[in-house]
Amino acid sequence: MSKVFQQYQGGSNKVFPGDKVKEIHEASVHLMEKVGVKVHNPRARQIFADHGAQVDHGEAIVKIPRSMLEDAVAAAPSRVLLCGREEKNDLVLEGTNTYLGTGGTVLYTLDLDTGERRPTEVRDVAGYAKMTDALENVAFFVINCYPQDVATEDVDVNRFYHSFANTSKHVMGGIYTMEGLKDVIRLSEEIAGGKANLLARPFVSFITLIMSPLVMEVTYTDFLMEIVRYGLPLTTPAEPLAGATAPVTLAGTVTINNVESLAGLVLAQLIRKGHPTLYGTTSSIMDMVTGTYMAGAIESALINAGCAQMAQYYEIPIYATGGMSDSKIPDCQAGYESAATAMIVALAGANYIHDAFGLLEFCTTLSYEKMVIDNEIVGMALRAVRGIEVNEETIAADIIAEVGPGGNFLAHRHTAGHVRKEFFFPRVADRQMRRDWEASGSADTAARAKVMAEEILREHRPLGFAEDLEALLRKNYAGIK
Amino acid sequence: MIQEIYTKVLAGESDGVRSAVQKALDEGIKPSKIINDALIKAMDEVGARMKSGEMYVPEVLIAAEAMKAGLGLVKPLLEGEAYAVGKVVIGTVAGDLHDIGKNLVTMLLESSGFEVIDLGVDASAEVFLEAAGKHKPQIVGLSALLTTTMASMEATVKALREKAPGIKTMIGGAPVSQQFADEIGAGGYAPDGASAVDLAKKLIQ
Ligand code: B1M
Repeated sequence: MSKVFQQYQGGSNKVFPGDKVKEIHEASVHLMEKVGVKVHNPRARQIFADHGAQVDHGEAIVKIPRSMLEDAVAAAPSRVLLCGREEKNDLVLEGTNTYLGTGGTVLYTLDLDTGERRPTEVRDVAGYAKMTDALENVAFFVINCYPQDVATEDVDVNRFYHSFANTSKHVMGGIYTMEGLKDVIRLSEEIAGGKANLLARPFVSFITLIMSPLVMEVTYTDFLMEIVRYGLPLTTPAEPLAGATAPVTLAGTVTINNVESLAGLVLAQLIRKGHPTLYGTTSSIMDMVTGTYMAGAIESALINAGCAQMAQYYEIPIYATGGMSDSKIPDCQAGYESAATAMIVALAGANYIHDAFGLLEFCTTLSYEKMVIDNEIVGMALRAVRGIEVNEETIAADIIAEVGPGGNFLAHRHTAGHVRKEFFFPRVADRQMRRDWEASGSADTAARAKVMAEEILREHRPLGFAEDLEALLRKNYAGIK
Repeated sequence: MIQEIYTKVLAGESDGVRSAVQKALDEGIKPSKIINDALIKAMDEVGARMKSGEMYVPEVLIAAEAMKAGLGLVKPLLEGEAYAVGKVVIGTVAGDLHDIGKNLVTMLLESSGFEVIDLGVDASAEVFLEAAGKHKPQIVGLSALLTTTMASMEATVKALREKAPGIKTMIGGAPVSQQFADEIGAGGYAPDGASAVDLAKKLIQ
């Protein structure tokens, strides 16, 4: 078994040519120097000022000079290691290595038994973490729901504890309070066996945020600074919505996203040169008929692919978004929106594509069945990312000559030898003849996925915690449910 | 001329609306007639076209701009007559930074003739109370997008009910529901922008 998680090289999909990357970069530098970013956090503003940015404290505007941006880009690592609690789950974020995982901090899930939409609880944090652990194409767990059955002050620690308990894949999450952040860091240290171990093998990382257009607010910027000082990996995504908080033109949205995400990255690098910071985007569009945020829009995928090209230009790994749907149930719309968006962003070689599993309804509702279906969609996307391997062995001219006109390849050793690598074998899709499909109950996609989800939740045994560690953690954090 | 103003508002032509309104005033048409029969009526039609999906949000907002351009000419001539349909103080509650929905609701309320005072994001109960005292609105609107900030919404609604009992409250935002509105004793809940306008109209009747 390989030491790290399966690697795929994306990057074949370019949504604009290389010279346009430069054009967007230059526009971004212009905006950083001339318009600047509104930084409401006075402590962050001071850091920018101390390093020579032009700061207007009254207006809270920080203008970032080209040289400061260039220094930060040079200082930010091009390779970020996000570990699992087991080495086989380590992710190497660099170049166009492409991984997909979960995301969203949703409030609802479709209940696996009843199909009804109900509030998410601690058991769902655990359930989706376990699904992540079991499904082979899910590379990481961005904690994807908000447990509504625990007190507000216990939410952060419950989200992370039950994630660690149910998957040994990398865990990333947003936090709600500074106290919660500190709790989670302490909890992680206890699991790792100390700070040095945790920083050497960071199996946890965090998400803060930049507010579009061009604002860094107080609380999340404090989180950002705290995390950077501590040293755990971090992403500072922006979520410009084309037409609402960004220009309706996709190039304009990529540009604003670029400025925002880089502004967060600059701050991180000013605090600690070389800090593992990911370029970040969760950008999408606003639907102009209903005025709501869209998750499964094709334009979202294009913006994310565009941001991936920008991040590749800066040689900084990117946290991106893809694979969501706005359908309310795991139906046909859910399938095609998720497939199209996941595929486009994965082919662009975005490194860490979150939100790609189980999400419905504008990133507000999860579905266990859909998570299983998405595992298959992502499997197909990764197969597409892998492309066609061309060499003497795969061109197989000698085999073609050997079989000759009118023969067949089915029984050839070359076929048996390569088929498992060349073909993607779906598990949810039905490939039976109609007679057999009918005989097996005529189940549709969601029904087949439901059976598989039930099986995982029933049978899968994650790494979990040793008994004494679990007891210790529960003793130290009374709020853990 | 009334018809022309109406058409120009629908087309979102601010300059056209301005010159048509000026012509109407020159012809001696009463300001209140211009407002009610042309400007507001056009926006009612815009609202209907938005609901049916015929007009897109940015087109609606540009029509609203045009309406306001006309309103700017007529307003000074109203001699104390209230021109606004009603007054709303609106804001996103403490701890919450989401404002896209609240801004949209604000713009749509304004387009329908409401005067709206926007308190921005992360507004505490005190800020709401103070604004309610100062502006004396009929309605205070609260927006929350996070489960964690629904508690601030509850506290604010409670404070308003105690200290400004004459004012109606309306709430909205992704995690909020009619049931929650009932639980905390809010005057009403709206799931989206268009129904927020309908609700506001109902609340001031
Ligand atoms: C007064 O009367 C009324 C009447 C009707 C009213 C009304 C008031 N207010 C609203 N309405 C209604 O009418 C409007 C128009 O039709 C509608 O308004 P909406 O706001 O619903 O709709 C808007 C027009 C478009 N929708 C939106 O603008 C919200 C979209 C989503 C994707 C979203 C966005 C864009 C953002 N977010 Co955040 N965000 C999400 C949202 C997911 C979702 N699908 O809702 C949600 C709400 N966010 C969430 C989270 C977790 C967070 N967000 C955060 C930040 C952000 C951004 C800054 C990146 C950005 C906001 C930008 C901005 N300027 O507002 C963080 C919190 C910041 C804070 N303290 O507030 C952060 C905590 C994430 C983090 N990184 O840590 C989730 C909440 C989960 C929870 N536990 O409560 C979330 C559901 C997404 C998710 N699935 O993870 C109606 O609700």
